[in-house]
Amino acid sequence: MIANLVLIFIAAAITHNFVLTYFLGICPFIGVSRKIEQAVGMGLATTFVMTLAATVTWAIYHFILIRFNLPFLQYASFIIVIASLVQIVEMFIKKVSPPLYRALGIYLPLITTNCAILGLTLFMVLREYTFLEGLIFGLGAGAGFTLALVIMAGIREELECCDIPKPLRGAGITLIIAGLLALSFMGFGGLISK
Amino acid sequence: MRNTIKMISVLTIVGLVSGAALVFMYKYAKPLIIVNQKNEMKQAIFKIFPKAKKYRKETIKDETIFKVNDKDGKFLGYAFLAEGYGYQGTIKMMVGIKKDLETLVGIEILESQETPGLGQEITEEQFKSQFKGLKTSPPIIYVKNKKPTKPNEIEAITGATISSRSVVGILNEKIKTIKDELR
Amino acid sequence: MSYDKNCAEKPKRLCANCGREFCKGLWRENPIFIQVLGMCPALAVTTKALFGFSMGMATTFVLVCSSLVISSIRKLIPPQVRIATFTVIIATFVTCADYFLKANFYTISKELGPYVPLIVVNCIILGRQEVFTSKHGVFNSFIDALGMGVGFSAVLVLLGSIRELFGFGTIFYYQILGEGFEHWVVMALPAGAFITLGFLVGIFNWINNKRKK
Repeated sequence: MIANLVLIFIAAAITHNFVLTYFLGICPFIGVSRKIEQAVGMGLATTFVMTLAATVTWAIYHFILIRFNLPFLQYASFIIVIASLVQIVEMFIKKVSPPLYRALGIYLPLITTNCAILGLTLFMVLREYTFLEGLIFGLGAGAGFTLALVIMAGIREELECCDIPKPLRGAGITLIIAGLLALSFMGFGGLISK
Repeated sequence: MRNTIKMISVLTIVGLVSGAALVFMYKYAKPLIIVNQKNEMKQAIFKIFPKAKKYRKETIKDETIFKVNDKDGKFLGYAFLAEGYGYQGTIKMMVGIKKDLETLVGIEILESQETPGLGQEITEEQFKSQFKGLKTSPPIIYVKNKKPTKPNEIEAITGATISSRSVVGILNEKIKTIKDELR
Repeated sequence: MSYDKNCAEKPKRLCANCGREFCKGLWRENPIFIQVLGMCPALAVTTKALFGFSMGMATTFVLVCSSLVISSIRKLIPPQVRIATFTVIIATFVTCADYFLKANFYTISKELGPYVPLIVVNCIILGRQEVFTSKHGVFNSFIDALGMGVGFSAVLVLLGSIRELFGFGTIFYYQILGEGFEHWVVMALPAGAFITLGFLVGIFNWINNKRKK
């Protein structure tokens, strides 16, 4: 039981990292990865929303959609739940930490259209996770997202002093670095065999 | 206040209309999807047993199996579904086995979400055809980076040992249950 | 590049702006290269050109349909709930597209897997509604959505073709490179997607910079 949960966590965070193997959450990965500080903030906000979203959508899926045989409302209801959660988190951050709110700027509302969160809930349903597994899966995916984002921000801070060919500046070099990161993360592949 | 009412009514109407549209779409698509799934299984069975003409679904204890016959009604063997976890997601396959339950006729992968280019090679003929005529006892094993020598061996895909191992594992487990049920 | 040229030559034939509106999605405001939106499907499903094409078509369908609906009811939607309304409408069309694919193109829908429902959160679609559709009429929105959709699909097909060519030696399952070609497995892997798209963005910028001079 515990071993299974640990496996799910590690798989979601490292070996099947959401950003680097499923390409989920690329927009913030490219947009908010210039400064480590911002990356950490964004990562934590996303992790929080992911865990919340995993639990809430699990409940909705099992207690409403399955119970009343409404599979066709799955996508619509999931995205609405996520959108409302993001709104709540946004209001919360605005209240608690205005600097963080200013720093994340337009990217906070964009968590709604962050594919990582909807992707997480879809994968959770597809793999028929239990409630606890879903929760851990959300945490792991969030941790993996934060990890990828922070690594990326670290590299990009160093890149500021590098002479990058002009056309590749911005999105181009970020994508290439992401490719190299994805390659190195593949090295963890043998870590779990489930 | 008026604004609130407007907000609520617009959202409700949009929700109702899209709900109705989805019900309509679902009613249209559901039967077609079921037909597609059935067709997929049918094609897999006919691919494994090229001589097959028809098959019959039977439930023995808890297992669903398909008894496959050729055009003269001669009994060719059994086909059944096997499912399990691969490297990235569920692997689902159709397995054909001769009536003595000792020789595999072949496998067809119905569903898999393995890594494209590596694990996904399990859906390629090169990998699947290795299972043709394989002996089922002792259980199937895989070897790495060399040609199989024994009648129960297959060669794992280079760089995708986990996916190959999953296929073999799922297969062995299911064959064992089927054997226990049928004997 | 040739798209842009064609448009520059005949903008007046259809209507005042619609040639421009259509073409900006192809090059000047290309959703992937310039706006850097919708990367998730662009990277995930482009292991083969055909999957890229199907994804592009599905996205275009959703984009065009939701733009049509939203632009025609845009004046009725209170601004406070516009995002929620947009999302519901988009999700509806995505579900329709998903069921349609499952019903008629079963194998393709299985290959695309959860990336079809993920069209809901494709930033391009919501982005277009926010930036364009909510401020323009039905016809212009339609042209804009079509242009964006085609521009998006073109990049997906291009990326898919490059990855399929080097990863499997084929394009649209048509054998291009001979049997002796050793497949570059990395092109089919996530890393190959990132690196190829990175270089494509670079090449795109390079051409753009040259043209500006």
